[in-house]
Amino acid sequence: MKAEYINPFVQASFSVLEMVLNCKPTKGAMAALPQTFASDQCNIICGITGPLQGQVIYGMSLSTADAIASTMLGTKIKSFDMLAASAIGELGNMITGHSMQILAEAGWVCDITPPSIVRGSNVQISTISIPAILVPIILEQGKFSLTIGLQERK
Amino acid sequence: MPKTILITDDALFMRVTLKNLLVNNGYEVVGEAVNGKDAVEKYALARPDVVFMDITMPIMDGIAATRAIRESDPGAKVIMCTAMGQKQMVMDAIQAGAKDFIVKPFSPQRVLESIQKVIG
Repeated sequence: MKAEYINPFVQASFSVLEMVLNCKPTKGAMAALPQTFASDQCNIICGITGPLQGQVIYGMSLSTADAIASTMLGTKIKSFDMLAASAIGELGNMITGHSMQILAEAGWVCDITPPSIVRGSNVQISTISIPAILVPIILEQGKFSLTIGLQERK
Repeated sequence: MPKTILITDDALFMRVTLKNLLVNNGYEVVGEAVNGKDAVEKYALARPDVVFMDITMPIMDGIAATRAIRESDPGAKVIMCTAMGQKQMVMDAIQAGAKDFIVKPFSPQRVLESIQKVIG
């Protein structure tokens, strides 16, 4: 996958996470993922359509998801309810939306689908024929994994 | 009399965040719509001073809803508030009649300044 598809997501993640969580994220080592890989415990999945198509998955542990939702809501959450899920989903939506702005400036005008949240352990994910790249981002709240699987529309 | 506002967003989190911000700053939130069609219906009933409008929503998007609201009331003041800040999206919103365009995530200051700007 071309770096020009990955960088907008990394750039957007840093800028949105910094603003929403008021923190200084750091980037871990980028890696190519196998065709099927074990997901994190909580995943925000956003689809991308247009001249580029695929998915971006924002993964984290349940405790990191709780900590992020608590920061976003300004109060420690007691359970991962509809409001917490909406906060986490909106975080994915904002990062993906911001990435689309950067991609559009580079000539790739794409649209996004509403975020879905998948929670659970031992979930296997496959982006089928689209190779996926993992970019770990370290936050005060824990690890936030960015998985990008994008290709040009044939 | 506090200025009245209708919030339109399919994300519960955004509706709650915006409502808290607006109420804490002296505005009255007269309704919360979860999609564009809902916003058009709630606008007709409440006739708020300002509408906050997301773009990407199910059933009817925010651009179509802004157009419909402005057709029924050419004086309607709509502020777009969306995660999609592409140039084309901004142009579509302005053409539909939106008075301002806020990209999420927003600062509270940006939202309050925008209201001041559109209601003068």
